[in-house]
Amino acid sequence: MKNMILSLALFGTAAGVVSANDDDGTSWVVLADQVYTADGEVYEGGFVAVADGKITGVGPGGGSGGSELDVFAVTPGLIDLGVRITEDPDVLEQSTETSITMRVAHGLDLFDLAWDRELRSGVTTVLASAPDNNVIGGLSVAIKTGGEPTLEARTVKADAVLRGSFGTQPSQGNQQSRGVPQNFYVRRPTTRMGVEWEFRKAFYDTIAAGRFPERAFEGSDVLKRVLDGDLPLSVQAWTTQDIRTAIYLKEEFKLPSMFVDAAAEAWKEPELLVRSGMGVVLPPFSFDGRVGREGAFFAWNTAKMLSDLEVPFALSGHGARNASERLAYQPGLAMRGGLSLEAALEAVTIAPARMIGIDDRVGSLEVGKDADLVLWSGPPFQPTSRVIGVMLDGHLVLDPRETNE
Amino acid sequence: MTLRRIPMQYSMQSTSQLFSRGAHQALRVSLFGLALAAVTSTASAMSPGGDLVIEAGRIITQAGGEITDGVIVIRDGRIEAIGAADEVERPWDLNVVGGPEFTAYPGFVEAHTSGGMDRANESIDVAPFLNIRDSIDPVSFFFEDVLRNGITTLGVHQGNNCVIGARGMVVRPVGRTVEELMVIGEFGLKLSAAPKSGSSRATQAQALRVAFDDLKSYLEDSVGERRYDGDKAKREALYQGRELDEEESKGRAMGGTAWKVDGLELIPRGELDVKQRPLLELVEGNYAAFIYCGAPMDVHLALEIARDNGFLHRTTLVLDNSCWKAADIIAEAGVSVVLDSAMTHIERDPYTGKEIETVVPRVFADRGVRFALSSNNASSQSLWYQAALANGLGIERSAALDAVTVIPAEILGLGDRVGSLQVGFDGNVVLSSGDPLSTTSWVEAVVVEGEQVYDRKTDARNQHLFEGQTPPVGKQSSMSQGSTGNRR
Repeated sequence: MKNMILSLALFGTAAGVVSANDDDGTSWVVLADQVYTADGEVYEGGFVAVADGKITGVGPGGGSGGSELDVFAVTPGLIDLGVRITEDPDVLEQSTETSITMRVAHGLDLFDLAWDRELRSGVTTVLASAPDNNVIGGLSVAIKTGGEPTLEARTVKADAVLRGSFGTQPSQGNQQSRGVPQNFYVRRPTTRMGVEWEFRKAFYDTIAAGRFPERAFEGSDVLKRVLDGDLPLSVQAWTTQDIRTAIYLKEEFKLPSMFVDAAAEAWKEPELLVRSGMGVVLPPFSFDGRVGREGAFFAWNTAKMLSDLEVPFALSGHGARNASERLAYQPGLAMRGGLSLEAALEAVTIAPARMIGIDDRVGSLEVGKDADLVLWSGPPFQPTSRVIGVMLDGHLVLDPRETNE
Repeated sequence: MTLRRIPMQYSMQSTSQLFSRGAHQALRVSLFGLALAAVTSTASAMSPGGDLVIEAGRIITQAGGEITDGVIVIRDGRIEAIGAADEVERPWDLNVVGGPEFTAYPGFVEAHTSGGMDRANESIDVAPFLNIRDSIDPVSFFFEDVLRNGITTLGVHQGNNCVIGARGMVVRPVGRTVEELMVIGEFGLKLSAAPKSGSSRATQAQALRVAFDDLKSYLEDSVGERRYDGDKAKREALYQGRELDEEESKGRAMGGTAWKVDGLELIPRGELDVKQRPLLELVEGNYAAFIYCGAPMDVHLALEIARDNGFLHRTTLVLDNSCWKAADIIAEAGVSVVLDSAMTHIERDPYTGKEIETVVPRVFADRGVRFALSSNNASSQSLWYQAALANGLGIERSAALDAVTVIPAEILGLGDRVGSLQVGFDGNVVLSSGDPLSTTSWVEAVVVEGEQVYDRKTDARNQHLFEGQTPPVGKQSSMSQGSTGNRR
């Protein structure tokens, strides 16, 4: 029976991450038949050395200087830019459609078991964003899925991106005034066009505030950083019309750093996408190609197409509840659509790290980076393989010696 | 008389006609006024099955090994020869499909699904007199989807929301009429040990027990009436307008092992109430039972009902993934199981807050219980993917493949016909671009009973899913026509 039960202690103890087999807890040597660094190198028979939460060595052959773990394959910890852990309505600010300065970090419940589920399935860093019911939902945080349960300990990058949303979701439930005087309950926008208008208004107001300081408003400083390219803008855009809107907005305001999230129909207008230089986060694949509340059509070769066009893209699990739909299984489905293993690996590690500017800390196996590792029972991303070990900041949170019986 | 659609009021005449024939007897069917005589239990008997030679660089036989550079010869829908290319004589006059780049394996078998049905559940609690034949939609996309994922045999059963449900059917995903789909016209009765919606568990248990008590008292009453009054059953039969053919006009002693009603031989079988006869068949061991268990506690009830009424040896349990907790008593009872498509059971300890993940197939594998896997959907998480996941979760590769081939075939009573590639077996073969459990392999062709019924190259819908092509102008309505261009 013990073979079948993988139990993981809930975070919250003084030590933060609890591991049943932590040995000295600081130094490890992971020996693997295949070491995927995600920076272009694959070692057939190699090692990753870890000390004090950081990677201290990667290469072919063996290493020494810590407790040994022997597994089939090791990859960097997975990064999910589309994770949905706190979708609670009370995390969404209702008093304005453009809650630019709100920080979703302040609404996260770090004790939610969903973090642990993500971590166990191999996702070590996520971008947590506000629910997409506002046109501009606020500032997202790049955060580890485990560790001591405080924002300070887990945050990789505060205010990593500004999050917005196109489509019908931000206008859903909003009512037209119908002769009633404007009040709090009469909300705008009520259409796709209205959503776009809110976006453009916010940016025009920001430009105006640059010329006339008295016109500055709450959030204009944040939007100024987006205009200057200091802060990436992430927008949800499932369908091709919303992706177009995002591209036109990017071009109109010359936004240097922007990517579309959940862009299922990114395959439909590849020329526009390439022209825009925009990054893409793909939603999880679905069995009939239909995804999202608007039934966007997500062709299975989309990831391969984006890879061929050299569009920066990432895969995401969008916080799937079903274990077999989480991020670790998405690269396999992208490979079914023709994507190479190398490109699939990058799409869940270094590519998302670059898109939000955290690639100096995570996303690949390089000396000096955080020791976030995923240990596999077989070739990564094949359904016949599974995640048998996870290391977060040098702590073994899922022990392959217990799971790989 | 038309059997294809039984009127809503379950006309006694037509249902009696249905019951008057066992699964292996001829059904008289007329469609659109055209009489097709003697449709036997297999569809292949209606269309004699094809002749074909299949070549593959690798053949996974599921019957003790693999063949490198192999050949399969199919005649009249059955495998005539299988072996290495240099050992098998290839008839010169047969078409050849495949080639060295393909991997061949037996068509997958789905033991229990409600896919392809118009509605999976019936509102009547105890409805064994119904047959899901009347609910199957042959042109449903479901059958097209399962075929392109290499499933060639399915047990279609009523959904789990019942007390005693309809009789199931074994089908192949090929054809435009129910008769063409049919492999076994009547197979298995569906029961549920989990409460039907709106019921409590106690009510469910009582309803199940009462159904068999009712059967017993009905049979005793009938025998009593026959002994002392004479002809109540006969009057009823006359009143219902049933005419008994030769077999139906005979009485025979009650079979079965658990309990018997003496004197049943006095009553012609055809005179028995059509609402009671399927349960009688079950008690006599003539039907297979598929009993759904929605929680570990339901397993006790399921086994009790099956034991008390003598059909434990014909029972397959259809399990929710929480039922691994009852694995010991399932192993002890010696029944086979069909597992939930979610193979990992996640549970939170309310006191410690710990989440415990249990790999369900491993629990059963460790106890030697024979288990079949279920598809999670008809497409991307079809049986091949489920077998691959099971393998990833620690099930031996051979056991994972068995759980989608030979074991479900046995559960469906077809262990000597499908699920593996052997001489004499049905010519149900999948040609894949690679290993069946690899995410980068695609089903390139499917052969069912010697006829190629699927070709990926001409599968327009698959290309659409794969590449997101806009359908060619003029064929834009193909998605809504409900028929398929690649299925014959």
